[in-house]
Amino acid sequence: MSDLTSLGAAAAAPAGAVPAAGVDPALASFIYTEARLADEARYSEWEALWDDDAKYWVPMHPDHDPKVNVSYIYDNRRRIRSRVAQLNSGNRHSQTPPSVLRRLITNLEVVAQDADTTTVAGNFVVYEYRFDLTVWAGRYEYRIRARGGDLKLAAKTVHLVNAGGPVSTMSFLI
Amino acid sequence: MTELDTSAQVGKVDVAALVEPDRVHGSVYTSQEVYDQEMDRIFRNGWVFVAHDSEVPEPGDYVTRRIAGEPWIVVRGKDGEVRVLANRCTHRGNRLCNADAGNSSSFRCPYHGWTFSNDGHLTGVPMRDGYGSSFHAVRDAMGLAPASAVDSYGGFVFASLNPPAITLREHLGRSTVALDRLLALSPTGELNLRAGWMKHDMRCNWKMVMENNVDGYHALFTHASVYDAVKPAKVSHVPSKVEVYVRDLGNGHSEIDYAKEYSRLDEEFIWFGRIRREKLPNYVAAMEEARGVEDTHRAFVVGPPHTLIFPNLFLAEMNIMTVEPLGPGRAVAYTTPALVPGADEVNEKTLRRTEGAMGPAGFLIADDGEIGARNQLGLAAGSPEWVVLRRGEETDITDETGIVNHDKSAETPQRGWWKHWSQVLTGTTTAPDA
Repeated sequence: MSDLTSLGAAAAAPAGAVPAAGVDPALASFIYTEARLADEARYSEWEALWDDDAKYWVPMHPDHDPKVNVSYIYDNRRRIRSRVAQLNSGNRHSQTPPSVLRRLITNLEVVAQDADTTTVAGNFVVYEYRFDLTVWAGRYEYRIRARGGDLKLAAKTVHLVNAGGPVSTMSFLI
Repeated sequence: MTELDTSAQVGKVDVAALVEPDRVHGSVYTSQEVYDQEMDRIFRNGWVFVAHDSEVPEPGDYVTRRIAGEPWIVVRGKDGEVRVLANRCTHRGNRLCNADAGNSSSFRCPYHGWTFSNDGHLTGVPMRDGYGSSFHAVRDAMGLAPASAVDSYGGFVFASLNPPAITLREHLGRSTVALDRLLALSPTGELNLRAGWMKHDMRCNWKMVMENNVDGYHALFTHASVYDAVKPAKVSHVPSKVEVYVRDLGNGHSEIDYAKEYSRLDEEFIWFGRIRREKLPNYVAAMEEARGVEDTHRAFVVGPPHTLIFPNLFLAEMNIMTVEPLGPGRAVAYTTPALVPGADEVNEKTLRRTEGAMGPAGFLIADDGEIGARNQLGLAAGSPEWVVLRRGEETDITDETGIVNHDKSAETPQRGWWKHWSQVLTGTTTAPDA
């Protein structure tokens, strides 16, 4: 899916700069794949995108510190596996049947870069149809790592615009 | 209208006819009129949990809350006293304080600038010359309306908006044993509830949220996905194999009690992922220093309570949950971890356990929310009219701790809840049960 050399030009840019040509197509493609797998409840394929040191975080406030604040989701790799196992069980009632989901991701920017990891941020809207239509919106931040010839998701942070709550049941993959 | 708007109007409701010892009428969950009576009799005229001391530790600290749809400020004055004040400017009714939490010595209305000290007194009226002498005569009485009674137990602050018929201690009755059991896990006997409240929009009646918390029957089914795919239950769900009890404590309070089973096993921290005490050296040392070796061991064995305090507080082991009713078919469940001051090595684990189990994405509560929403949908069917609560009624035993059943799947807690609910709504509450 990815070509390590395609990250070279972006890596050479000053920290925080957005390449004129936009986000590397391989990174954008990875982000859209992650979104589609989540939308389509392809849980195990989605899980396979994560790196071993994964952090999947949905805070209640952007300034919160997981050491002292509770988050809606603060999954390490092991808990991601459990989350997916629960969804795959067929008895995760709040996702049985799975919500119908489609999400839009836009305004992608590279916000940080080091040797093997690129941090990309963008805005999102998720349309969830369950009992009725629920609209979720916010900002995604992805840390995407080039590993071997592959890209892996090292971290995904979801800053919901309504993080202050109340928040509806959110057992789908946001 | 969406599919979930299922509130039914039932005309003039005779609440006394809706509750029998072993069944309740479905309209208790769907009727707007029943709901209005609940807000009046339970939430405006009885003791309700409003906040925890640790949320407002310093003078000027405040949090804002809603009780029965009304906005209130819970604020600590410079005298150290915690007051519960109506969050409404006494001039033209503007909501005065619009933050969730903060620190302020006064509240200034953004509309016309009226200012109130944080003990409720009206201290400033801009362009006061525009008012005549008749206003100045009543000005002193135009402070923020306080709740009639505020009292606390173990840091948990309760209020009664109108004058209560009984004291807080009378209301809490036997549930203080559960509060003490939670506090026994803190070396100082204090808790920290400052990690933030998850606010979970529940599309069901507020009573379903609360009743379900002490329902020992649903776990194997509602939460099958956790036990099958993630981790086995901490102790067996088969009643004959375990010493797990459900208990109606009186006054609408109830619990699922694992203490005897944990004591029989004499194993510490079964309730905390079976963590070994060696992993919590500073906490163990602080506990033993404060409470001695034996009491510390016992606290670590029996663990925290799983106890519902009528009407809106649930001691969810190492979490605290409260519920805000928003109409017959809607409620917000608020959840925060019960942290132990100074015990960082425990608290970080508690935070992760809270996220795992509780809130809108929690492995447990997300599914409880879904089941609650479907319950609300099911109750839209008018027939059968009744909800059945007969499980274990022939095996209930009354002892000094309440009405107890040695099968945690018995509906003993629900029967206790509804008995008290009916007494409160019909004004037939007699002497407190304990």
